[in-house]
Amino acid sequence: MSQFITSARTTRFTASGLHDDVRTLHRQGLRFFNAGWICVAAALALSLLGFAAISTTEPAYAMKHLVHLMLGLFAAGVAAFPTNRWLQRFSYPLLGLALLLLIFVLIPFVPDSIVHPRNGARRWINIIVFDLQPSELAKIAYVLALACYFKSHQSYRTLRGLFIPFVGTFIPMGLILIEPDLGTALVFVPTFFAMLIAAGGRIWHVVLIIVMGLGSAPLMYPLLQPHQKDRIMALVAQTSGDDRYVQNIGFQGDRAMMLVGSGGFAGTGKEHAADLVRFNGLPEEHNDMIFAVVSCRWGALGAIATWGLFLLFALGAFVTAATCKDAFSRLVPVGLTAVVLTQMIVNTGMTIGVLPITGMTLPFVSAGGSSLISSWLMVGVIYGIALRRPRYMSRDSLKFADGESDE
Amino acid sequence: MARVTYRAPSTHFHRRLVLLGCGALVVMLVLFAQLSRLAIVQGAEFRQEAEKVLDRRTYLPTYRGRILDREGRVLARDQASYEVAVSFPVIAGEWANAQAESAARREVGGMWLELDTAERQEVIDRYLPQFRGREQDLFETICLLGNIPREELDERLNTIRRNVQRMAAEVWDAQAAAELARRGDDPATFQFDPQPIREQKIAHVVLSDVPDEVAFEFMMIAEDAPSMIEVRDTRRRENPFSEQVISLDCDSLPRPLRRDAPKVIHVTGVLDHTLGSIRDQLWKEDVDDRPFYDPRTRDIDLGGYRDGDVIGNSGLERVFEDHLRGLRGYIHERRDTGERTRVEPTPGNDLQLTIDVMLQARIQAVLSHEYGLTVVQPWHNNAVLRNGFPLNAAVVVLEIETGEVLAEVTMPTLAMGELMSDKQRDFDRPAYNRAVDAVYPPGSILKPIVLTAAVSERVFSIGDTIRCDGKYFPDKPQPRCWIFREVHNFMSHGSLGASESIARSCNIFFYTLADRLDMPRLIDWMDFYGMGQRLYTGLAYEVQTDDGEYITAGEAPGHLPSDADVTKWKSTGEYTFTNLIMGIGQGPMSWTPMHAANAYATLARGGSIRDATIIQHDPRGERPQRIPSRTINKKAVDEALDGLRRSVVENFGTSNHIRFADTTVDDLFNAGGVTVWAKTGTAQAPLVDLNQDGEIDELERKSRLDHAWCVGLVGPKGSDRPLYTFAVVVEYGGSGGRVAGPIANQVIHALQDLNYLPDDGSKPPPVNGGRGYGPDYDLYSASEMEADH
Repeated sequence: MSQFITSARTTRFTASGLHDDVRTLHRQGLRFFNAGWICVAAALALSLLGFAAISTTEPAYAMKHLVHLMLGLFAAGVAAFPTNRWLQRFSYPLLGLALLLLIFVLIPFVPDSIVHPRNGARRWINIIVFDLQPSELAKIAYVLALACYFKSHQSYRTLRGLFIPFVGTFIPMGLILIEPDLGTALVFVPTFFAMLIAAGGRIWHVVLIIVMGLGSAPLMYPLLQPHQKDRIMALVAQTSGDDRYVQNIGFQGDRAMMLVGSGGFAGTGKEHAADLVRFNGLPEEHNDMIFAVVSCRWGALGAIATWGLFLLFALGAFVTAATCKDAFSRLVPVGLTAVVLTQMIVNTGMTIGVLPITGMTLPFVSAGGSSLISSWLMVGVIYGIALRRPRYMSRDSLKFADGESDE
Repeated sequence: MARVTYRAPSTHFHRRLVLLGCGALVVMLVLFAQLSRLAIVQGAEFRQEAEKVLDRRTYLPTYRGRILDREGRVLARDQASYEVAVSFPVIAGEWANAQAESAARREVGGMWLELDTAERQEVIDRYLPQFRGREQDLFETICLLGNIPREELDERLNTIRRNVQRMAAEVWDAQAAAELARRGDDPATFQFDPQPIREQKIAHVVLSDVPDEVAFEFMMIAEDAPSMIEVRDTRRRENPFSEQVISLDCDSLPRPLRRDAPKVIHVTGVLDHTLGSIRDQLWKEDVDDRPFYDPRTRDIDLGGYRDGDVIGNSGLERVFEDHLRGLRGYIHERRDTGERTRVEPTPGNDLQLTIDVMLQARIQAVLSHEYGLTVVQPWHNNAVLRNGFPLNAAVVVLEIETGEVLAEVTMPTLAMGELMSDKQRDFDRPAYNRAVDAVYPPGSILKPIVLTAAVSERVFSIGDTIRCDGKYFPDKPQPRCWIFREVHNFMSHGSLGASESIARSCNIFFYTLADRLDMPRLIDWMDFYGMGQRLYTGLAYEVQTDDGEYITAGEAPGHLPSDADVTKWKSTGEYTFTNLIMGIGQGPMSWTPMHAANAYATLARGGSIRDATIIQHDPRGERPQRIPSRTINKKAVDEALDGLRRSVVENFGTSNHIRFADTTVDDLFNAGGVTVWAKTGTAQAPLVDLNQDGEIDELERKSRLDHAWCVGLVGPKGSDRPLYTFAVVVEYGGSGGRVAGPIANQVIHALQDLNYLPDDGSKPPPVNGGRGYGPDYDLYSASEMEADH
């Protein structure tokens, strides 16, 4: 920087000289050795782990996974390209587009060839290369929009000021619930809380909302779909050692737990794991239940390694956030990490029997183009943020006086 | 040296990041704890459980054990067979639709999703006739190869459709109710999504017992159309001796039926009560008692029950189910390595009976209505039933030395019952095995037994006499002797010794003995002879009632008064009369023909208890032996046997002859080369509604009829101890001598015909202790003996 200043002082200003100066300034504003690489490395390792796990039982899907990984890497590259200012500018339009797509999949007269319902759910739009799941896009758009909102408003530190972010959260959630896709919809809640906490929201607000949410949960139970009630009932039965449902509504959970357990400490190896998974009839083993395959094949070590990679990813994203100064750049990595970690916790939690079964993929690892590409889009966004140095002389954002802190 | 110091995150945001990270770590700790529990603590257990599915077992059916008669003839066996089954989608007409849709999808390919419903149906309709045609071709082929008319096949298919639909409706109703209860939803808005039940996916049998060559043809068809038809190996239970043609001589029958030419009689359902049946519909309790797979322990019992199994339903097939059943075999395949091991089925064990099926069939032929002895005949002098009215009967033949049952015949058989109308079935009750499961008052056949009790209890001495004046109490009309009636000019027997009283069947004599014995001792002695308790010949089994209690069925115990009854009668003033009539086998006591034969065998063995059995080498182990509660006086036995013998040989004996309307007489027992000891009995039966013409009219209501008994012993000519005992009862038949006696005579002929009584030419055994039969005993003319007792 000092070289640039010296040069500016000793040379005449010309148009080409100014162009060169700006290019130099931009080049010097990028930091290629950044924490974003940690996220990239972790995500790449998880994707390759996914490839290996999927190939255990479904080699054809594994090859598709590789193709989707290539697309994901490309998508990540594209996502890393826009500057933070561009991202902020397009946050709200992007959320609008995502909401339109969410509405589009719900329109009844859209031909089945475009929106093909699966198991009664309308979640996917056929875009030939893969089926686009608008809810995946909505998660990213939501994080960007919320970060943008928190950056430009400080009213969220009051209870009344939380109203708009709440509404902004519940609109995409509601549309996704109608699909129905409870698992994806529920991701929005922890993400909101994580971003609110990171943005300096008052902790007692968060605690109050959580307590109220938990308190009203029994009232919400009757509103659940029958299959959702079944899954909760199956989990309760499974936890209390009641095996009444293991052959019907609790089958998937029971099989998943058994296969996780059968992996032991070091796993059973590829062939044996493939046999165990196949002959035990684990449904969705290449997709939502991929963690059971990982655990069966590589044992507890594999499972811990998987979790370790996710934590590494979170570490990279948090370091990225920590090294940024403006609120948007700080909150986006936190939000996206919350999305990824929430999915990971829900997915692996349901696989090992601490949460009810819900249709949710394990980011980077599960087969499925939409899931993988959207996960890599998040990596791209985080990397893009990490790539750009904070503006010179910019001051820390999200700083609040101690008296205002709730910690 | 520079000091290294730790700097905590200084800004608010950084502290919040640390807070979030810590939160995530806490959640991860919970997950880690659960993972540790699953993979490390319970890992081995889960591995073992998961690997169970790698072992696939295909179970092989076992053979049910055979049931053999005493000569080793096979009475029941499993016969290899084939059956042809058609898949339910074909039966329901859904197969063609599914196939047509598949073909349509293949034709359209990836564009299928873009077609609307009408366009799809249009393509499907192009293929539908082709597959409908294949369904019809299959049905035609089944009719052709199975040699059945199309109407019959359609009827079978309709029955299957109806049954499956009914079953599905029941299952869905139950599932919906359970689902509703589980969810607690509002019934008005609750919607249940029924899924096809198993029976709607599998194949159902349309042809059974298919011969090998036809089965081969069907196998070729099944290879081409595996989704339509299956050919299954199966086993059916067959009873090779259930139908027989028996030629019976008619020259020893009572004169009105006598002829030179033998009669050829077709008997059906031989031993069907005894052998019982199997069923292929399992009940819940069958599976509960012995499940093939126990979900609690996850153990497999190769002899356990699951859908498709057969199980003994009645008779020996039920009682000896565990012995006959056998164990499945299996082919064990390791699915990951493809290794296969085969364990052959363990066939069920054979069960050998003491019964001689040829004797059984022969006696059944004797009891057939066609032979004439079990329909009302003019010489029966039956005042209530019309001539030709069919009678039900039972016969038991025992080997005295061993207690082995040679024959236990009950009429009608189950097979005959299947041809009856519902009304007739209600009256005749063919499901009853009258030989062991129907009880009758013993009547006069009990008298020799009462004598042994009285002598053994020293209330009567051999050589003493008792006077019969017709009435027991001079001032009361009842009880009286059977001879003290207007039809016999109110005659009486005068003074009688013990054996003669049996031969003449004097009631007063036995009222006196009963009075001297007193009811409790009399009951003890009846108990000694087996009355009131199950003999456990092999047909008794436990069954659960609707109340959940287990009771014993298959063999009746008969009835004896309880202590409470005795006490009650003492208080109501009925005691004396009841006590007296029990001396002649009437009143509150009853037994089965098996009890009667068993009691006479005990008598013939001199009081040695060896209860009747139909099983040789009972696989359940030794039966608990009844402990004799009394010691029988051997002289009393000799006297009783003497009385039985005199009953046959003396012309005043009630078992000596039958008299016809023209006053001519026939010997009751006319088999040469044998010695017979016998006692007839005419036991009062409860009033019964008759049905002689399809309607129970007023005259038929509460008709007074008697059961006809004839029980006796038989041995080769010249022997002093009998070899076999027989008991004949004809239900509501009337006179024991006229109705049951001729049947007993034919039973002896049957034993002779089958060489059970070889004629060694020796002299008949002495009777009456060698005293012979002098004219003193011939107090009454034969005509007075017509109403034998």
